[in-house]
Amino acid sequence: MSPEQPEDSSVRVRIRGRELSFAMTEQQVARAKELARHALHEPFTKRVWSELAFFLLGSALAGVGLAFVSFTMVSGLVLAVTFFGLAVLALSLRSARGIGGFERRLARGMLGETVEDPQPFAGRPGFLGWLQSSLRDRVAWRAVGYLALKVPWSILGVLVAVSLWWDAFACLLHPLFGRNGGGLPVWGLARAFFPAGDFNFGPVGFLQNVGIFIFGAIFLFAAPWVMRGFVNVDRLLIRGLLGPDPMATRVRSLEQARTQTVDASAATLRRIERDLHDGTQAQLVALAMRLGMAKEKLEVDPEHVDLERVRELVDAAHRGAKEAITELRDIARGIHPPALDIGLEGALATLAARSAVPTELSVDLSTRPTPAIEAIAYFCVAELLANVAQHALASRASVSCAQQGTWLRLVVRDDGTGGAQLTTVGSSSSGLAGLTDRVHAVDGQLHIVSPPGGPTVVTVDLPLGS
Amino acid sequence: MTGASLRIAIAEDSAILRDGLVQLLVDRGFTVTGAVGDPAALRSSVAQNPPDVAVIDIRMPPTFTDEGLRLALELRSRHEGLGILLFSQYIETRYAADLLAEDAAGIGYLLKDRVADVSDFVEALERVAVGGTALDPEVVTQLLGATRRTDSLSVLTPREREVLSLMAEGRSNAAIANALVVSEGAVEKHVANIFAKLDLPVSEKDHRRVLAVLRFLES
Repeated sequence: MSPEQPEDSSVRVRIRGRELSFAMTEQQVARAKELARHALHEPFTKRVWSELAFFLLGSALAGVGLAFVSFTMVSGLVLAVTFFGLAVLALSLRSARGIGGFERRLARGMLGETVEDPQPFAGRPGFLGWLQSSLRDRVAWRAVGYLALKVPWSILGVLVAVSLWWDAFACLLHPLFGRNGGGLPVWGLARAFFPAGDFNFGPVGFLQNVGIFIFGAIFLFAAPWVMRGFVNVDRLLIRGLLGPDPMATRVRSLEQARTQTVDASAATLRRIERDLHDGTQAQLVALAMRLGMAKEKLEVDPEHVDLERVRELVDAAHRGAKEAITELRDIARGIHPPALDIGLEGALATLAARSAVPTELSVDLSTRPTPAIEAIAYFCVAELLANVAQHALASRASVSCAQQGTWLRLVVRDDGTGGAQLTTVGSSSSGLAGLTDRVHAVDGQLHIVSPPGGPTVVTVDLPLGS
Repeated sequence: MTGASLRIAIAEDSAILRDGLVQLLVDRGFTVTGAVGDPAALRSSVAQNPPDVAVIDIRMPPTFTDEGLRLALELRSRHEGLGILLFSQYIETRYAADLLAEDAAGIGYLLKDRVADVSDFVEALERVAVGGTALDPEVVTQLLGATRRTDSLSVLTPREREVLSLMAEGRSNAAIANALVVSEGAVEKHVANIFAKLDLPVSEKDHRRVLAVLRFLES
C-alpha cells in the first residue's frame, strides 16, 4: 500500500517535480505493513463471512418478524374494542420478545456478541394478570423497537454492503463469463455507474476487461469493512435494545442493596444480642449471685457474721456493677453514638481524639447530612481508624470530611504498611466488607488504595440527600 | 448439709459466671470436680473425674446455639445416673421437651438468674443429684400458657393450680407445703384431687409425676 524504503525508513513522494520525504520510524513502518497485511487478508477471514451470514439471516428474520408483529399488532389494535383484541396484542408482544431473543442468540452464536439475557417474563397469576404483564413487558416493547429500527437498516445494508459483495464477484468473474454478453448483472450502488445493470455495452475489449477486474478487486477488499460498519451498528442496537432493561437492572441492584441492608441490620442485632448475652447479662447474673451469697451470710446467723467474707462479696459485686455499666455504655454507643447528637463534626472530633494513632481532622460541611448518612459516616471513620490502629503500624493518620456538590466525601489516610484489602471472605458484617455493604446500601462508594508498603487511602462517597 | 458429699462439674463459657459459680459451690461445701468453658473439656473432665451433677450452659462454643443441650443428651446416655442441670439465659420450651423426652429423673433446667437466690439454687441442685427434677418456674409458666388443655385445667381451683405448677417444677410434697406455707397433708389432698380431676396415673416418685404433668400439658 505505501511505498517503503527499508534502508532509511523514509517515504519519498514526488509532487510537481519536488521530492518530499517523510521520515517514518521503524515502528510506523511495521504498523503500516501490519495494516496492509490485515487489509489484504480480511476478505478471507472467517469473521467476515460470519458477519455477512449474520447480516443476511438476521435481516431476513427481522423482516419476517416485523411483518408478523406489525400485522398482529394492528389487528389487535383494531380489535382492541373487544377483549379478544387485547389478547392478540399480548400474543404479538410475546412473539416480539421471542424474536428478539432469537436475534440475540444469533448475534451470540455468529458474532460472539455477549449480550446478557434480559429479565425472564414474569406473568402474574390468572389470565388477566398474564394479559397485563404481557402488555407492560418492557423487554417485549424494546424488541419491537429493535425490529422497527433494524429493518430499515437492513434494507440499506443490503443495498450498500451486500450488493458490494455481489458486485465484487460480478466484476471479478466478468472476464470469464461476460465476453459474449452473458455477464452477471450488477446492482446496488454500482447501478449508479452502470445504469443498464451489466457491462454489456457493446463488444468488450481486453483493456475494459482488465478495468472491470480491477474494480472487482477494489470492491472485494472494501466489502468486508463496509459490511462490518453495518454489523457494528446492529451490535449497538442489540446491546441497547435486546439486553437487560436498564430500569429493571436498577431495580435489581436496589433489591440487592436492600437485602444487604436487611442482612447487615440482622447481623448488627445479633452482635448486640451476643454482646448483651456474654457481657452485661453474665455480669449482672454474677453480681446478683454475689449479693445473694452476701445476703445469706448476713441472714443465716446474725450473731456470727463472717464480715470479712461478706465485705469481699460486696466488693466483688460493686466491681461487677461498675464493669456492667461500662459495658452497657459501649454497647449503647455501638447502636447509636450519642456524640452524633451534637453533629458529625463533633462526633468525628471525639473519634479522632480517642484514636490510638495521632489523627488530624478536617471537616468542611455547609449542610448537615441526614441522620442515616451521619451515622454511616461515623461508623466508617470509627472502623477505619480502628483498622489503622490494629493493622497498619502507622504513626500518623488523617481524616477529612468535605462536601462536594451533593456528595459527602470522607478520606481516611495513614502512613502505615498498606496492603489493606477488601475481602468478602467470612462474615459480611465484619470489617471493610461490612462497611462496603453499609455504604452501598445508600448508593455510596468505597475505594481503597493500599499498595504494599503504604500509604493507605480509603475514600468513601456518600450522597448527602438520601 | 448434704452439699458436703456432692461432686459438681461445670461447663460455662463466661469466665465471670464460671468463677462465681465455683465460689458459690465451694462456699456451700460442694466439691467442684471441674470448671471448664467448652463441651469437649467437660466431656473429658466427666470421664476422668465423674461428678454427681454436671451444670451445663446451653450456649457454648463453637456455634453458640444449643451445644450444651446436645452435650447433656450425650452425657446422659454415656454415664448412667449422672445428674444434669442445664443452665441458660433464656428458656426455650422445645429444649425442655427434648431434654425430658424419655425421662425426668436427674434432670434440671434453670434460668441463670436463679443463682441469685442461693438456697433455691442449691436445693434444685441437690434435688437433681438424688434423681429428682428441677424445672424453672418459667418453663412451667410457658407450658401452662401454651397448653391446649385449658378446658381440663379450668376445673382446678386456684390453689390446685399453684400446686400443679410447683409439682411440674419437680418439687416434693414437703417442698410444696413449705413454699405455700400449708401442711404436707393438705398438699397431699390437693395432689390427689388434681390427679383425679385430670385423670392422671398416680405415681409415688416425684420425677414420674413431673413427667405425667408435662405429658398432660403437652398433649
